[in-house]
Amino acid sequence: MSSLDTLMSLEGASAAFEFSATGELTGHRVAEGSSLTPESLDLLAHVFVANIAIATMQARGWESSTGQGGFYPIQGFTLVGFEWSTVGNGHRGVVLRNDVADFEAAYAALES
Amino acid sequence: MIKQLLALDGMLVICHFRDDGTLVEGYGLMGEDMMQRLAKFAHDYKRMVQGNTDQFSMFTQLPGWAPPRGWNVRGAQYTVCSVGNLVCFIDNAEASLNEVMRELDEAASY
Amino acid sequence: MSVFSELAGMTGVIAAGEYSYRGDRYNFRGQLSEDMARMASIMCRATTMSTHMQSDILCANSDNCPFEEAHGWVVKGPQFTVCVMANVFCFVSNEPGVFNRIFKRMRDSLMDAPDVQEMV
Repeated sequence: MSSLDTLMSLEGASAAFEFSATGELTGHRVAEGSSLTPESLDLLAHVFVANIAIATMQARGWESSTGQGGFYPIQGFTLVGFEWSTVGNGHRGVVLRNDVADFEAAYAALES
Repeated sequence: MIKQLLALDGMLVICHFRDDGTLVEGYGLMGEDMMQRLAKFAHDYKRMVQGNTDQFSMFTQLPGWAPPRGWNVRGAQYTVCSVGNLVCFIDNAEASLNEVMRELDEAASY
Repeated sequence: MSVFSELAGMTGVIAAGEYSYRGDRYNFRGQLSEDMARMASIMCRATTMSTHMQSDILCANSDNCPFEEAHGWVVKGPQFTVCVMANVFCFVSNEPGVFNRIFKRMRDSLMDAPDVQEMV
């Protein structure tokens, strides 16, 4: 099973996608009935790249200012919408329905 | 007053927005709807730049960064520039970025 | 009891707090110094503003956008995860089962909190 198929097997997954280091969409799967388009997934991919970069800056600043480690390197970012969330790490992301989402499983799948 | 900035080389659009992101006035080669969207984007972007500048100042303790006066984002053909509550669109091939930023800075302090 | 106080008492939570959308006010409970809580509030506010701008852009040209409003965000590190919903932040230890439970609690309490745009 490809890594995108693994992500699609998560409960409540409506799309899984992969992207380049700069956020361009390089591959995707969309569940039947989902309104997500490759254009929307490309934007979400850029959201991940942008937010993981910002979070990395924050983790670096936090760790050097406070001496408290444990945040760097960033291992993922999630954007929470009303009904849906998107979880991303590295070069892959997945869109999950909030009411059934297992975020820990999603992060584990993104790390594998 | 900001309409005069359209006379600068390469200046395509100039807008003034309120602190809530609504458009006060706008001039140039863009419809009202697009100007409203530009105003909202500039307002949101300003808040984001403020947030990032606050964090930079907080982590480094360096003076002279916060509050930020403005920002610009350069694309292949166009650049979006903002100072205070003014935002403009310029054509990279014709405009002088230095001149535009200087004029925006002056107009923003009226 | 405020949501952040309740969260701070849950297993696996290192600290929880709330920040104002405008200005520098914040409250917190847990294992953070006053200065760390102030910094955490500034960082969380900045990311919240940024995700709101992003969701606006994501949905600007779409009638049926799943991220019409950004209600929150999560950043995971090797040992800790930061979870933010509305104006409440929570620092969570990465122990199995903890994050899903905390996130559900935050979603149940804060999903209907007023939109950031109405607060700024």
